Amino acid sequence: MVMRPVPWQTGEICGPDSAKSLAKSDVIKRDLSKAKKPLLIVGSEAVAEKHGKGDMIDYAIALSKAGSIPIVATGGAIKAFIEKGFEGAKSMGAMELASRLQDADWKGPHGKGPHDMILIYGIPYYMQWTLLSAVMNFGTHITAITLGRYYQPHAKWSFPNMKEKQYHELLDEILVLVGGGK
Amino acid sequence: MKKKAYFKADEAKTGLGVFKGLEVRIGQIVDDEWDEPMGPTPMPNPTTLRAWDHKLLTKYQPSYMPYCQVCCLCTFGKCDLTGDKRGACGIDMKAQQARIVLAAANIGCSAHLAHARHLVDHLIEEYGPRTALIQGPGTEIHAPVSSLVTGMRPRYLEDASLILDYCESQLAHTLSATHTGQEGSWLDFESKVLHAGMVDQVSMEIADLVQISTLGFPQADPEAPLVESGIGMMDTNKAIILTIGHNIVPAASITDYITEKRVGDEVEVGGMCCTAWDITRRDPKAKVIGPISWQLRYIRSGKADVIVVDEQCVRTDVVTEAKKVKAPIISTSDKAVMGLPDRTDDDVASIVEELVSGKIDGAYISDHHKVGEVATKVALAVKPKRRKMKFFPSKKQIQKMAMECKKCSECIRACPNDQNVMEAVLAAQTGNFEPLRDVYRNCIGCARCESACPNDYDLHSWMVVAAEADCKDETYMVRTGRGAIQDTEIRNVGQPIVFGEIPGVIAHVGCANYPGGGKDVHDMAEEFAKRRYIIVTSGCAAISAGHVRDENGQSIYERRSGEFDAGCVLNVGSCVSNPHIAGAAIKIAAIFAKRNLRGNYAEIADYIHNRVGAVGISWGAMSQKAASIAAGFWRLGVPVIVGPHGSKYRRMLIGNPDDERAWTVYDARTGDRVVTAPGPEHLFYAAETVAEANVMTAKLVLRPNDTGKGRSIKLSHYIDIHEKNYGFFPEDVWKYIRRDTDIPITLKDKILAQMKENKWKEKRIPDPTLLKEQIIGGEK
Repeated sequence: MVMRPVPWQTGEICGPDSAKSLAKSDVIKRDLSKAKKPLLIVGSEAVAEKHGKGDMIDYAIALSKAGSIPIVATGGAIKAFIEKGFEGAKSMGAMELASRLQDADWKGPHGKGPHDMILIYGIPYYMQWTLLSAVMNFGTHITAITLGRYYQPHAKWSFPNMKEKQYHELLDEILVLVGGGK
Repeated sequence: MKKKAYFKADEAKTGLGVFKGLEVRIGQIVDDEWDEPMGPTPMPNPTTLRAWDHKLLTKYQPSYMPYCQVCCLCTFGKCDLTGDKRGACGIDMKAQQARIVLAAANIGCSAHLAHARHLVDHLIEEYGPRTALIQGPGTEIHAPVSSLVTGMRPRYLEDASLILDYCESQLAHTLSATHTGQEGSWLDFESKVLHAGMVDQVSMEIADLVQISTLGFPQADPEAPLVESGIGMMDTNKAIILTIGHNIVPAASITDYITEKRVGDEVEVGGMCCTAWDITRRDPKAKVIGPISWQLRYIRSGKADVIVVDEQCVRTDVVTEAKKVKAPIISTSDKAVMGLPDRTDDDVASIVEELVSGKIDGAYISDHHKVGEVATKVALAVKPKRRKMKFFPSKKQIQKMAMECKKCSECIRACPNDQNVMEAVLAAQTGNFEPLRDVYRNCIGCARCESACPNDYDLHSWMVVAAEADCKDETYMVRTGRGAIQDTEIRNVGQPIVFGEIPGVIAHVGCANYPGGGKDVHDMAEEFAKRRYIIVTSGCAAISAGHVRDENGQSIYERRSGEFDAGCVLNVGSCVSNPHIAGAAIKIAAIFAKRNLRGNYAEIADYIHNRVGAVGISWGAMSQKAASIAAGFWRLGVPVIVGPHGSKYRRMLIGNPDDERAWTVYDARTGDRVVTAPGPEHLFYAAETVAEANVMTAKLVLRPNDTGKGRSIKLSHYIDIHEKNYGFFPEDVWKYIRRDTDIPITLKDKILAQMKENKWKEKRIPDPTLLKEQIIGGEK
């Protein structure tokens, strides 16, 4: 297991700029506090990924409630939110999001935007890579933080390919940072 | 239409003497047999249809996702293009991305075009330039794509050659536009992408038309033969010749030789990728082994006694892999010589002797007449010796080797689908091979895991060993390519398609870079076939669709008819058969709406875009050819969905449902501008999951021209599929309701409530067009 901020899929190298390593939760404290209208994007792989006693859908719900962050689910992940009785999530395609996030005036799926930050995980690695490339190059009004386990170079902040236990601990710290986890 | 006269004689006695191999071309003659008036854009150049392209590209704005943020195409670079930076030549990021998309479309187009050129030249050589081109019974609308684009009906092989002259000139222009200091606007790059796609579609139509006409393929036949398919279908009691690629000519020489020498009981031929389809169209006794991603697993099995490669999508390490299993290899195409010695001019006996003895690993033989004889003789000679060889390690050996795994995760990092290969290897240490077997089921056969492994494990081979039982069980019956759709079939379904009563035509095409195994293609096809959509297949997707058996042991092709009708599943054939799908849409405009096709591209594309609920799906799209095929459909206004890997094409064509202006059409009856619902909502879209693809498919068949009944049927399916996959009633149904008649009766209460909530107002159903010139009596 590499524990370095290098792209998880070895060929997915990027351009001159790459994400800063989110190895400690504190490093994003400032950006989180500055963000006025964050959006949490949760992809299809979150449904099957465990976190604590639940899964990464439960984590999204906790994060959303703690930070009053609206959720948009991609690739059909919305079904898992509904099955858990969480009504606050909206559904959009990852590629629709990649397009709409480039528009600085877009109000977002809940009409609560324009969003100035995205927190994102659960989309297949390479597809999230391309979505974040769109944001990095053409959605420069947005601060992108990835909460997936593996390094995504096109975000501003990304985990640096973490060991599973360490990763989930850090997720819990971030939850506390936004006011949850109590 | 002007064209050249041409004739050829093997031997001509004249007053001047005897001429051997005489070929004569004389001036120009005029083909005046076609009484359809010529449209406005015969043989368009790269800017002729620019206005139409801009309409599409305004409605579906390119959304770029740079896959590479530098440009390294010239020695000014590398240039950093991130953000608002420009390169040394002045290009910015958007234009550079569009330029690379154009480069991909050009590469794809060139592969089909060069393939078509080889076929046409070869067949003119074999059969003569005046050989008639025939699509089959009930195809009076002949070569609809070529007719639409060029204004020419290719009646003879020499006509096909002239049409390819046009295609070659266009490709030279669109390719040159990618040079440093040529095109600078993303919009014009994108317009040329559409042009390259259209030219690609013409060249593919010519390629399939000439081979259908001359090589004994099924001709527009809904009952094209069912043929054997799958690794388990190959009879190892016989010598086996494996053919890989797309070009039928060398493969046909093999089956012809086997038939001529009556050695079919001793040797058999199996194909991979599109050669598989075309060889079974030529000879239904041949077999379809599998799609492109099956190459490595079958070669490594050592069951192929001789490997013959032609062109396109062949693994470029095929010689190395063949050598590992001591299988002689023959390359046959000047595009893919593979480093082998040129033995074209040598006598057959000496080539056979050297291949059998192992003196040479392989040979390049461009004379296709020799390929059949060499391949067959070598296969028969090496088979007895090779059957005693064993190429895969035993499970016990794998278990021992696996103990040395360094647990570095590099195999996982190298896997395009993030398969947990390492955990599977660690499980194999304990003798548990089930995880490796699971990896096999989702594996696309790239072997990047092996390249990354510091222990040089043959991981792909290990997966195949773990899944030995699955390989043996790969036994299916699949329907080979039928070719064109008959005019009579179009007459039967044209009206219900245009009015929306047959909810859509869905084409599963393209490569096998699947995110989670080929079964997904089958499942998507079945989901919509049972809902009475028309399902069309081609290429590797057509193979994967057939590689699932139901509870009765039948494939989708066995249980569903091959007609172009509701609920049917029809395989048109190989990659170059894709224009039959576009041709069906074009024919709907010609037959049902009586529109002229000849050189009339924009009008017909406008008709298809607004009326024909067709969607292309390339779930495993991988290649540049897939990109150019998609571009051909985009220019006709037909949306295309790709799997998640398709996001790496770095550009989607996305509609904005909130922008009313984007969905405004002219009412051709009155000239009024009318706002319609967003349909089709996108033109190019990568779906993350099968669930998303299914929901998007049901949505993208919506068209402004749907009748009330048709819209109601389409919405019923959209709502049902949405609820099934997403777990809730879609929130945008009200947008698609124009009048009460659009409301599916059983869902009336829910939809009425949604309409009320969104302050819905009745809308008119226009005679939709994006073209001012289509307004009856001219623009207001």
